[in-house]
Amino acid sequence: MRLKSCIAIGTFLALTVTACGGSAPGGGAPDAADASGTIKIGSIHPLTGALAFDGQQMSKAVKLAAEEINNAGGIKSLGGAKLEILGADSQGKPEVGQSEAQRLTQAGAVALVGPYQSAVAAQVATVAERNKVPFVIDVASADDILKQGYTYTFRLQPSSDTLGRYGARYLKELADRTGQKVTKVAYLHEQTDYGTSTFKSFSDEAAKLGLEVGPQITYDALKASDLTTELTKVKAAGVDALAVTGYYRDGLLTAKAIASVQPEVKIVLGVSHGAFSSPVFPRDGGAVAEGIYDSNFNYDATKPESKAVLDAFQAKHGEELRFIPFTSYECVRLIAAALEKAASRDPVKIREALAGISFETVLAFDGPVEFDESGQNKNATPVVLQVQDGKVVPVHPAAKAVAEPRPAAE
Amino acid sequence: MNRTISRAGLAAVVAAAVIAGAWARSGSGTVTAQAVLTGLLLGGVYALVAMGLTLIFGVLDIVNFAHGAFMTLGMYATALLASSAGLNPYLTLLVSVPLLFGVGYVVQRHMVSRTMGGSLAAQLLLTLGIAMLLENSLLLAFSGDTRTVPVSFDTPLRVLGAVADLSRVLAFVGAMSLAGAVWLLLTRTRLGTAIRAVAANPEGASLVGLDVRRLHALTFAAGTACAGAAGTLVTPLVTVEPTAGELFNIIGFVVVVLGGLGSVPGAVAGGLIIGLTEQLGGLYLPGQSPLLVVFGVFVLVLLWRPQGLFGRPA
Repeated sequence: MRLKSCIAIGTFLALTVTACGGSAPGGGAPDAADASGTIKIGSIHPLTGALAFDGQQMSKAVKLAAEEINNAGGIKSLGGAKLEILGADSQGKPEVGQSEAQRLTQAGAVALVGPYQSAVAAQVATVAERNKVPFVIDVASADDILKQGYTYTFRLQPSSDTLGRYGARYLKELADRTGQKVTKVAYLHEQTDYGTSTFKSFSDEAAKLGLEVGPQITYDALKASDLTTELTKVKAAGVDALAVTGYYRDGLLTAKAIASVQPEVKIVLGVSHGAFSSPVFPRDGGAVAEGIYDSNFNYDATKPESKAVLDAFQAKHGEELRFIPFTSYECVRLIAAALEKAASRDPVKIREALAGISFETVLAFDGPVEFDESGQNKNATPVVLQVQDGKVVPVHPAAKAVAEPRPAAE
Repeated sequence: MNRTISRAGLAAVVAAAVIAGAWARSGSGTVTAQAVLTGLLLGGVYALVAMGLTLIFGVLDIVNFAHGAFMTLGMYATALLASSAGLNPYLTLLVSVPLLFGVGYVVQRHMVSRTMGGSLAAQLLLTLGIAMLLENSLLLAFSGDTRTVPVSFDTPLRVLGAVADLSRVLAFVGAMSLAGAVWLLLTRTRLGTAIRAVAANPEGASLVGLDVRRLHALTFAAGTACAGAAGTLVTPLVTVEPTAGELFNIIGFVVVVLGGLGSVPGAVAGGLIIGLTEQLGGLYLPGQSPLLVVFGVFVLVLLWRPQGLFGRPA
């Protein structure tokens, strides 16, 4: 078949062309321990491709954090040394992320931040291990990444298992707080590892809490352009609540389908959903976004420090900082704290400092950032947000909420 | 004539059996009705995307990987006009169609024409390159931020317990009208006859005095104009971002080959079959990618008719 060979050739060419574009000649010897000059931190995010908007904000947030630290006097234990961010575009592709990580470490980066996608994170982690340069994952939730016995890879955000379990717990608590009886929960999720593993952790925890989970409905996030049939299945099952895991574009389709099918559920809760707690979801979804919950990690909206960061970003770039890039911002502050503690530019010493750190974060976690054996931040937990009057606001747990959860209008 | 009737009868029997099977499998009439309705409406959109591709593929013999990107261009034209000038999104067809016609004409005349009759790799690289250029220019100009274009009068319509948003029904109606218009253009006008002549035999067409180069450019432009119309009609249903058209690219190629290269009725039939297969396949094999069933049907049809449903044997 001519067409098939055409498509095969085309795809192959597309991959090779971009892969070549991503690798750069590795000139210059590693010079990480240079005692003078700036301290270089590598930032790897998807600046082009489908995730470009978030990726670019992550990159801007990383630079903002470095700038603020430099303006406040740099790293004091290193004589006020300044931070310098070396930026790189992963293009959302694991092999590009890997070659860029290699390039940045060769260029003298003493730590890496990134990368937003789990597949990219797995590749960057191998480079970090090989070169003995600490790698702090801002966002990339797959559980596998930290199960390889790595010692140089750390993760700030909650793992996908934690996100799934808290989803079930919060669903139960929300039902109790709003005085609604929820026993049967349908789960709609995109069908790759992200959706499937979140669903598994959710169901495990839900079983312990006495919630009945089913039916499980999956869809292909890359191909879906209508989710009406999926929501009709939810309606036909006659459940009390609907839990959803997905990405942004399909999240909007889900919200639209909920509005037209009217599945008559009391609670719609995203479990670490890519759309439901995004600040642009109410703008893009309009009325159909109203009332939808999401259990996700977020900055602590009750702290004035969070607002200061949001304001600084707004002033500099004229756009609202989203919670995902906020995590990247926090990663740079964390690395700066580790540098401060290590009083050294040696990546191995920085790793040691990170492994034993206790860092007060403005993220809405259950305590300071502290890493366990695998490199996971053990105090990372999500909060529940809800779309209320066109804004995404934290509503649960009460200590980190700025508003009360609002039951769906019947 | 008799063969056509018996074939239509066969198709009806197969469709009825497939739907009955889906009903038995899902255990819910409403869910099945919804899958059929959604499948038909989605199929209309697929047909619309495939229509432009099949013209270009059938007449110029070019695998146009930039089709999805042209569609995205149409979406941005609609989104920008709807948000800045407050135009009804459907009115922006008056802008997106001529705009994409012009873009297509220029692209064919100055770029694609240089690879005509050249190696396949050169054509592939060129159309892929155009796709990347368009996508990244949009990213540069409008950032990767998403846009949506709501239709103020959108409302769910109910049929046999199934629901369909008015905007989806409008996209379907628009697709079918456009298919009719393209079909009339090809079969009832002098231009259409000339285009078909060029498709059948370019050397012969130029021998009898047809300007083949101009007709190639016009056909390519008509194909991209279809992509523009498709972009506008789906804008209310999707999230507009620089990579939005990619979603429809592969499905478009599948529909074109399934229906038969260069055949407009083939694109419509292929689109509807793929749409229905995707939705009903989801009921037969829950938890699998709909593409699994789609490609299964695709392979079966090609085993039976290698030239596609409406294609002529080579």
